[in-house]
Amino acid sequence: MQFFFEVLIGGLLAGVMYSLVALGFVLIYKASGVFNFAQGAMVFFAALTFVSLVERGFSIWVAFLITFAAMVVIAIATERVVLRPLVNQAQITLFMATIGLTFVLEGLSQLFWGSQPHGLELGIEDMPLEWLSANTGINVSQFDLFAALVAGILVAGLALFFQKTRIGRALRAVADDHQAALAVGIPLQQIWAIVWTVAGFVALVSGLLWGARNGVQFALTFTALKALPVLILGGFESVAGAIIGGLIIGASEKLAEIYIPQFLNAPLSEAWGVSVNLAGLEIWFPYALALAFLLIRPEGLFGEKHIDRV
Amino acid sequence: MQDRSTSQRLSFHGALETFEVDFSGLTFSAAAEVDAFYDEIDRQLAASGRRWYFLVVYTDCIIAPEAWDSFAARGKSCNVNHSLGSVRVGASAQTRESIRQDAGRGSFRANMYDTREQAMQAIAELRRQRPGPAAAADDTFLRVDNVSLRFGGVKAITGVSFEIKRGEISSIIGPNGAGKSSMLNVINGVYHPQEGTITFLGRKRHDMDTHEAAAQGIARTFQNIALFKGMSVLDNLMTGRNLKMHCNFLQQALYLGPARREELEHRRKIEEVIDFLEIEHIRKTPVGRLPYGLQKRVELGRALAAEPTLLLLDEPMAGMNVEEKQDMCRFILDVNDQFGTTILLIEHDMGVVMDISTYVVVLDYGKKIGEGTPDDVRSDPVVISAYLGATH
Amino acid sequence: MLYRDAGQFKDTYSADQQIFPIRQDRIGVTLLVLFAFLVVPVIGNQYWLSAILIPFLVFALAALGLNILTGYAGQLSLGTAAFMAVGGFAAYNFVLRVPGMPILVSFALAGVMAALVGIVFGLPSLRIKGFYLAVATLAAQFFVVWALTKFGWFSNFSSSGVISAQTVVILGYPFDTPVRKYLLVLAIVALMALAAKNMVRSSVGRAWMAVRDMDVAAGVIGIRLMHTKLLAFAVSSFYCGVAGALYTYCYIGTVEPEAFNIELSFRVLFMIIIGGVGSILGSFLGAAFITLLPIFLNTYAEPLAHALGLQLPPGIVSNLELIIFGALIIFFLIVEPLGLARMWQITKEKMRLWPFPH
Repeated sequence: MQFFFEVLIGGLLAGVMYSLVALGFVLIYKASGVFNFAQGAMVFFAALTFVSLVERGFSIWVAFLITFAAMVVIAIATERVVLRPLVNQAQITLFMATIGLTFVLEGLSQLFWGSQPHGLELGIEDMPLEWLSANTGINVSQFDLFAALVAGILVAGLALFFQKTRIGRALRAVADDHQAALAVGIPLQQIWAIVWTVAGFVALVSGLLWGARNGVQFALTFTALKALPVLILGGFESVAGAIIGGLIIGASEKLAEIYIPQFLNAPLSEAWGVSVNLAGLEIWFPYALALAFLLIRPEGLFGEKHIDRV
Repeated sequence: MQDRSTSQRLSFHGALETFEVDFSGLTFSAAAEVDAFYDEIDRQLAASGRRWYFLVVYTDCIIAPEAWDSFAARGKSCNVNHSLGSVRVGASAQTRESIRQDAGRGSFRANMYDTREQAMQAIAELRRQRPGPAAAADDTFLRVDNVSLRFGGVKAITGVSFEIKRGEISSIIGPNGAGKSSMLNVINGVYHPQEGTITFLGRKRHDMDTHEAAAQGIARTFQNIALFKGMSVLDNLMTGRNLKMHCNFLQQALYLGPARREELEHRRKIEEVIDFLEIEHIRKTPVGRLPYGLQKRVELGRALAAEPTLLLLDEPMAGMNVEEKQDMCRFILDVNDQFGTTILLIEHDMGVVMDISTYVVVLDYGKKIGEGTPDDVRSDPVVISAYLGATH
Repeated sequence: MLYRDAGQFKDTYSADQQIFPIRQDRIGVTLLVLFAFLVVPVIGNQYWLSAILIPFLVFALAALGLNILTGYAGQLSLGTAAFMAVGGFAAYNFVLRVPGMPILVSFALAGVMAALVGIVFGLPSLRIKGFYLAVATLAAQFFVVWALTKFGWFSNFSSSGVISAQTVVILGYPFDTPVRKYLLVLAIVALMALAAKNMVRSSVGRAWMAVRDMDVAAGVIGIRLMHTKLLAFAVSSFYCGVAGALYTYCYIGTVEPEAFNIELSFRVLFMIIIGGVGSILGSFLGAAFITLLPIFLNTYAEPLAHALGLQLPPGIVSNLELIIFGALIIFFLIVEPLGLARMWQITKEKMRLWPFPH
């Protein structure tokens, strides 16, 4: 039973990490209607830049600031070169443009900093929390808890931003219809630059946390793909959805990975007469889950329903 | 001049549900001759007590200009009252020319075949696509009974009933949001009403399925143009005939043989529609590049390509200038005249509605507030206060 | 001046509906086909045939498949490589386990297997649209690769999951040299491209495009959405499956499930974006471009850098490749979303007018 809780909590906390990446997606989607496939590459770039600076002797805070500055530059460059020429194009076109952007960022990252994996130290250890482990026998990593805390703060801040501020409202208008927003006088270019910068900040935070947990390496770019099932569950436009979706995906993924092979390996091996090992199914399980969910509720838990008017 | 009597030129083919009129070699030089002939036709058709497919042979038939108006009028009323559809065989050059000049029409190509065999095949095709005529009873063309449609809490249509007669042009009018487009969507099968029934061609049912509606001969155009922007005009029209094309994808991958024949045959039919709508010059243009008025015309073409029994037009004149509206009106009237297609249209331009429709239904907030002939509706105080405005 | 269609009047509908209505086009294409079948085998060297032309043809076939699904029918798919994997492994298993199975039949059956898998993963398209559908195809991508790795039966229980394709023997005649493999692949791809072109200009292709452009209107006309979408998945996967079989048998030779990963799927997607979505020619152009670009970079990056006096650190070429790919995609999407095929069309239109400006 303890083990179950450990897996569950571990999964939930891993889910928090997914949520962080998904958050970046939601931000950009909410504000510009663009599904930014390059979010993963942004995470990678941010983490790699930070780590490389630290390794060259900069302090953590200075490295953080410099990296953030770099993310701002990227945001502005993206807005000028990619988004502005594609104003009002179909969603799918913008999506494919972000795939192109992914490649550019990946290439640039490795061009500047090389392609070796790096370790990342943030000063918080990946060790079980003492008093929890002593009192209940459940081991939960301090690091995971720290990540959850950071995510929580970030989410609260962003939610407030969207709901309460003027800029937040403008962002929602832009997400709905670029041309209409322009017609009303909303400064599209500035807004987008701001949004992508904020998304860049989220990418930076995600990059630090992910990098500390798994090391900074090329595979980090694929976190974008991990976030997709989260977005499907939570809906593309909801901050709350990104969090809850992340928790569900994280938990179910870990639980499925541990328990399904445990229960099915033996019976299947017997039935088919060969040794069956279902391990590794966490690679596709979140997608299958998201898919099943889509069939029941195409908009996700918190997404907005689309009505086709003829 | 007449080597056969009138009644020898009229024959009924029971098994094929076809009534054949042989005008070949005849000359009509006066209206009286036309009337005499048609009186006999009307008498026999009325006596038969049912509707027929018409097969009319015009080879070497000469109709003098003086007789033309009478000929056209009698022919039309005959069609409206007794026919399920008509095909024509041949027309002497002189007839065609005289028709073109005097009647001022651009084309008289519809349903015209070179040989009797081709014409009979066309009738067979028509018969195949329409449900067999009910032996007796329900001759209803389209009736809507007590239909109600809701979207969540929003009541789009509440308890609306009306009936459309075959061969007529009818209109639905009303302020924006009255539920007019929703009504068309219900008839068409895009929306399924919570209550009420729809009776089409004698069959009563709770709701339609879009595929079934299309198969039964209902075609429509949309308020916001629903053309396939990635395809050319020709391809858009050809998609209108998709239901009639029966080769499977393997035959089409091979192309030679049945798929090619089918493709060419349907291309031939589409060209008739293109001629009719005068859009030959833009056949190969991608539809997205056409101006608004032409796009609307192409959409009408796609609906016509399906050779519909019932044509639903949703604001066909929206956004057009006076000339374009005149053109569109002319096309709508021609469609009704030449093909006998029943038309139900939604329109805001009162001039158009009053001019071309014979029956008008008025909706407001999802309810029917008036119906009748254009004159009835125009003078109905309820309609005036809801929609038309006091100073009318 | 040369490319005039003056004087070429079409007086039958069949003439108007030919694949190549302009005489110069017909001549050009005939010459190209003759060149490909007769001249290339004679003058082509081993490297060109094995490393450039064969993969170009194989990927062109996969791009054709993806174009049918994404370009014509509008269903975004990120699982192309998975369907290729099904094709490759299915062909291997048919040849392995069914004694006396002719290899062309096993290729065809491999395509059918891929088509069946395609239909299963295409079922969600009935409820889901746009890039939500991409998620379903991603599920296919990851699941298929995992399944082929996990269940040893597929790779005949080889320790690493690798399969080695058997020699292609047709009617007793072995196809084991690059020239023979090239001709075999060329013949198969040419026939399938012709079939694709025929489908696309018939009612099934129009139904696909109608569903892509406005599926509600398509339903109203009477097009059956379910049939049309599933048929698109089936045909597309068939093409990808055959491409996968050819990839395994005539190109790489030994292959493991991980070779058919998501990067391969993206590669084929880029081929159709750059080449032109919704265009048969575009599939070929895109495949040529993406196959040739890395080779071009590899060959010319060093000399160019030396000429410019730059020192190239190691590993730069692959990164450059990434950057250039990405930049090109963005470039094409901005400048010519319909890709190289549309650029070619515009060029032809200009050639028709040349030397006049309009």
